[in-house]
Amino acid sequence: MDLRVNIGGLTLANPVGVASGTFGYGDEYAGLFDIDRLGALYTKAVTPEARAGNRTPRLADTPAGMLNSIGLANPGLDSFITDKLPALRQRRCAVIVNVAGTCPEEYQAVVERLETVEGLAGYEINISCPNVKAGGLALGTDLKLVESLTRRLRDCRQRPERPLIVKLSPNVTDIAEIARAAEAGGADAVSCINTLVGMVIDVQKQRPVLAMGTGGLSGPAIRPVGVACVYKVSRAVGIPIIGLGGIGCLDDALQYFLAGASAIQIGTALFRRPECALEILDGLAPWLEANHLSSVTEIKRLLKV
Amino acid sequence: MKRFDSTVTELQPVASDYFRITFQWPVTLPLPQPGCFLTVSAGSGFDPALRRPFAFSDVDPARGTAAFIFQRRGRGTAWLAERRPGDSLDVLGPLGAGFRAPPSGARPVLVAGGIGLGPMLFLARQLHQTAAAGRNEVPILVLGYRSASQAPSVDLPPGSVICTDDGMRGFHGSAVAYLDQLADALPPYYYACGPVAMMAAIDRLAAARAGQADWQAATEQWMACGVGACQGCVIPFKDGGFKRCCADGPVFNGRMVDWVGLQE
Repeated sequence: MDLRVNIGGLTLANPVGVASGTFGYGDEYAGLFDIDRLGALYTKAVTPEARAGNRTPRLADTPAGMLNSIGLANPGLDSFITDKLPALRQRRCAVIVNVAGTCPEEYQAVVERLETVEGLAGYEINISCPNVKAGGLALGTDLKLVESLTRRLRDCRQRPERPLIVKLSPNVTDIAEIARAAEAGGADAVSCINTLVGMVIDVQKQRPVLAMGTGGLSGPAIRPVGVACVYKVSRAVGIPIIGLGGIGCLDDALQYFLAGASAIQIGTALFRRPECALEILDGLAPWLEANHLSSVTEIKRLLKV
Repeated sequence: MKRFDSTVTELQPVASDYFRITFQWPVTLPLPQPGCFLTVSAGSGFDPALRRPFAFSDVDPARGTAAFIFQRRGRGTAWLAERRPGDSLDVLGPLGAGFRAPPSGARPVLVAGGIGLGPMLFLARQLHQTAAAGRNEVPILVLGYRSASQAPSVDLPPGSVICTDDGMRGFHGSAVAYLDQLADALPPYYYACGPVAMMAAIDRLAAARAGQADWQAATEQWMACGVGACQGCVIPFKDGGFKRCCADGPVFNGRMVDWVGLQE
């Protein structure tokens, strides 16, 4: 069975990827399962300068999910290239760098520099991080900014074979409008969804559990939101959609494919059971065969609405 | 490290709301060292969604078992307290870097508060063995509790000291108060695991004593991945930076940790 999918000109060996922020730069999970079998690895966000991240606590447990407020902690662009990229280059899966910044110029600085190095497959533009004061979500909720930032990055890109994937936030009134703005700006694909803003309050201490107050909700709790967002976006744009949000097993992944996704990402479920990504991958071909389909992108045609 | 389905061999209450759970440890895996930890999937559904980290308290290579001590205080630990011999346990480990050997000529003084008992007990037993082999001085284990009823019923190594705030058992006062008045021909070298307030007090004591540039603190923090990927479990450091409890620790030089920041 051919599980390859095309994301804006980039062919992935299969549609199963691991989500940015949950997988570090790849090495951390190397002892737990065969990372090379993944279709794509989306790195932890990379910003021009190193970021220490937010105060602690950064995590809170929620019903069927979790809140995180990491704050884009990362070693910065130079260290990423020197210290992380050599090992990432050895991976057989596509390495897609999650790019973040506090302003459009910072996003551009990261993409321009990464265009000069080998071994990367694409860029996921993080305009939807809820845990930083500047950039992140502030960029991702403004239609004009989304379009102009996407166009800016498109214009500075020298390697059109590396798709620009804009990662969308569900913390907006209409995610389809934002997806259209990204498409108008020249995005090759969109990924949706990033985390939902949430808060847990410690009743005994009468203050939020997270040091920053709010964080991003992920896990099975947000899956219906993610599936609905992919469904809405798939009816608004013609570019491929990478679906994520609460995927932990084959059925979860199939919901996203039925809703219109061409590929998926596994995130929070890795924390519980790292090998679930490969279990989903191994379940795809038998499911396609049983349903007389020859590719993953045909799944969406089965949806009856 | 590996994720595997283990089997519970024993669940033993060791104090009010404290339990020791023993489970099979495959011979093919590295033997856990004192200070290292594991995570378990504490529940059968998605609630709680995150695995729970625990420091090893025992390992028995002859029986092929390992154990940890936990306190029942939330959904995950309530589920764990209901496990019975024969039940399956989803384990990921061993994780993290353990304790380093003490400097020569110093007295290893091990301090445990609350759930810090497990890793300190494990370390004390090992340091007694290495002391018998002449590799370090004989350690002292100091355990601090609010009241005598909270003190655990476990086999403590010889020379252990129990401190109770109410004075109903052992030394009358906190573990730190005991350390402060401890007279020894050898200079102390601290190892500790327990509540942040206790750790901060030990750090002040270590700072006040000349020559105490270093002590070993086993830290704890909420965790998501447990393998160093997510940056969720970081511990603040006095230099303004952070280190990952799971992958850079959980044992750190206690002088470097920002205990005030951690307490807030």
